[in-house]
Amino acid sequence: MAVAAGRSVIVVGTAKNTGKTTTFNALRAMAKRRGSAIGVTSIGRDGEPADALDAEPKPRVRLSAGTIVALPAGLMPRSPALAILEVGESSALGMMVFARVVLPASCEIGGPPTARAMRATIDRLRALCAGPVLVDGAIDRVAPLAGGDDAVIVATGAASGATVAQVAAAAAEVVARLTLPGRDAAHERERVVRVWGALDARDADELLATAAGATVVVDDPTRIAIRGALFAKLRGAVDLRCERPLRVVACTTSPVGRESSLSPRALVDAVAVATGLPAFDVVADLYAAGRDAA
Amino acid sequence: MNADALTAERIGLDWLRAAVAPVGAFGRRHDERIAPYGPGDEAAAHDEIAEAVALAARLVPDEVGVVRAALRALPEPTPIVARARAGDPLNDVDFYELGRFVDALDLLVRAWDSAGGEGPRRPPALDGVRAALAPGREQPGFYLADGFGPGLAAARAALAGAEAAVDRERERIAAGVRDVLGIDPAGDEFVVLRDAYDGPVPGDVRIVRETPTYRVLAITVVAPQRDAAFAALADAEDAARRVLSDRIAREADAVTAVTRALGALDRLLARVAFAQRWGGCIPELRTTGIVFADATFAPLAAALAARGHRYTPLSLALAGVAVLTGPNMGGKSAALATAGFVCACAAFGVPPPAASASIPLLETIVWLGGDGPAERTRLLSSYAAEIVRAQRALGGASPRALVLVDEFARTTGPREGRALLIAFAEALRSRAAFALAATHFDGVAEAAQVEHLRIAGLRHRAIAAIDGADLDAALDAINAAMDYRVVDARTGDPASDALALAQLLGFDAALVERARRLYDSE
Repeated sequence: MAVAAGRSVIVVGTAKNTGKTTTFNALRAMAKRRGSAIGVTSIGRDGEPADALDAEPKPRVRLSAGTIVALPAGLMPRSPALAILEVGESSALGMMVFARVVLPASCEIGGPPTARAMRATIDRLRALCAGPVLVDGAIDRVAPLAGGDDAVIVATGAASGATVAQVAAAAAEVVARLTLPGRDAAHERERVVRVWGALDARDADELLATAAGATVVVDDPTRIAIRGALFAKLRGAVDLRCERPLRVVACTTSPVGRESSLSPRALVDAVAVATGLPAFDVVADLYAAGRDAA
Repeated sequence: MNADALTAERIGLDWLRAAVAPVGAFGRRHDERIAPYGPGDEAAAHDEIAEAVALAARLVPDEVGVVRAALRALPEPTPIVARARAGDPLNDVDFYELGRFVDALDLLVRAWDSAGGEGPRRPPALDGVRAALAPGREQPGFYLADGFGPGLAAARAALAGAEAAVDRERERIAAGVRDVLGIDPAGDEFVVLRDAYDGPVPGDVRIVRETPTYRVLAITVVAPQRDAAFAALADAEDAARRVLSDRIAREADAVTAVTRALGALDRLLARVAFAQRWGGCIPELRTTGIVFADATFAPLAAALAARGHRYTPLSLALAGVAVLTGPNMGGKSAALATAGFVCACAAFGVPPPAASASIPLLETIVWLGGDGPAERTRLLSSYAAEIVRAQRALGGASPRALVLVDEFARTTGPREGRALLIAFAEALRSRAAFALAATHFDGVAEAAQVEHLRIAGLRHRAIAAIDGADLDAALDAINAAMDYRVVDARTGDPASDALALAQLLGFDAALVERARRLYDSE
């Protein structure tokens, strides 16, 4: 696993409340059991005690002693005090602070505002902690990790569908977008169309009309702004690739939603089958092998 | 010193402002508080320029660059000490930033000493702030260490003990879960499938959610001692921050004094660097004339240097109003600009880049000729805009004004244009203003009874034509052939050299010859 290899791992959710922070905390616990020094940061704002929209309680990000954390100055816990190592770029909540946790602390985590700053923050964290960096992420903001050796884990769960089949289908679509293959000269078609910026519905319509059979290249998987049937149709009609691919390595499942709950075993199995990736339920301690393992 | 946008552009004032801009925030604030020197400020201007010249001679140029880089890198402590002075408790990032400022100040002082600085401009140290922060800076960065408060160590030990007790209690409950349910709960919350275990849950484990197929359980550790220890540590840390904030507040005046000293040093070093780059003299600040020797119009010299060409310094002695004639590309406009630039340098406390200078501190510099940003967007014609500017210049003409006139009225009929320029020169003379008027009109100086200067011009006219499209080659050829000196027009050959220059620039030889015959027959 990426954590064991000392790489960066970003956790993204297919929807709100799909167990992203729970997955994040499970990864931290695993690193702690292995005795790895870890770095922690977030794309966006996470670890707040309640959901900002519906005020439902959310898992806190509890950091153990020795963890190196990058967070905006405005989110620094007053107590227990952190040991500040250095200060980086500004964010909406103040300068990014790199700090070592001295006594265990619960806090919110936020991240820098730009992809470039996010990449720099992750790299700096890796240098400071000499171990894996865990990033509590956002699915539309993983571009900083594209093209690198960082791993992406997709958190999905009952919040993204009413049935096991719906959740699995939603996860499959997200994974299909995020696992867009990189360019490969050996398999590139005769005609190559480069799409700069986001590939939206209008672009897709035009490509379907004019570029069937061609290789279509975007910068990274986050540039794909189309969903559902249109995405599936385009992917079937062209050889869709990207300059900087992401490494999506696993899914996690959360069977408990605000409105419904699903069978943990059935969900983890269905997600593994639909995405082809290993799936884990970190709360129920369940695992299903993906296509590769099978 | 007043100068509108067109004037600022033509005399290189915008370039000068950028060239001597401080590099750091303190310097910029300091600079904003100092208006350009004007009449009555001679002593202050002299002192600033003299200090810059003296330091330029003493300091190692590369090391000046290092000191300026250190000034640029200084963090900003002012808002932090302002909050401390007002009684606000500071936070740990504030203390970290103050520590960074103290470190950056140390680096700057070392760079200053290395450059050969010392003396009264050496930035003072902030020993009080350093001492106040010392317990938190034993490792790189900042930590609200135990040394900041008598109760901190005990409060931290109590919390660590309470956390360990919570961990032991949690592990005790987890062991019960393992025994009873047969699963190992990785976190506080875990799921148990009913087909694996559907019996009663162990004590201290609560049911969060139940479904027909599974239950979500949570280990619940009630830890009032841990909560109390956490609250006690929070109080102790806040108390330590308040004490440290009070100490910083007592150092606030010292920090403010340092930032002011750094601001003044930043401004001064900008002038030192300028003098080291372009040379500089201490001008005599007198109202008797605008006189300088071997002055460099630095904006033009920089542009030429960027293309690999050399700039020829020029000298000027202007007692009042003078007309300047001479060949195209002989440097008439550059002479006007240099006069304005040298005077502007003095007004900004910058050593004029000249071997020597005797100049006044002026109230106004006005450039007439050509279109500025305002003229380019107005409905007036070039001629009309020029007349409007000339009338405005006349209104401000005084012994403390310099009016630079670049081919006034060239866009109207030559007879009327010449007459207007004569009248304008007479009016400037009557107001005792300083003025230099470049023109191709004949006999203006004599008619207006003002001094007549001219650019010496081409040293030899028998020069081979070059490809006019090759700008660099043309500049080199003209540089080699042109004598850029400003001389008394009563001496030497007053030819304008226009035909020779046309030939040099590759204009059709037959046409040049035809023009020469026409010119000679008149």
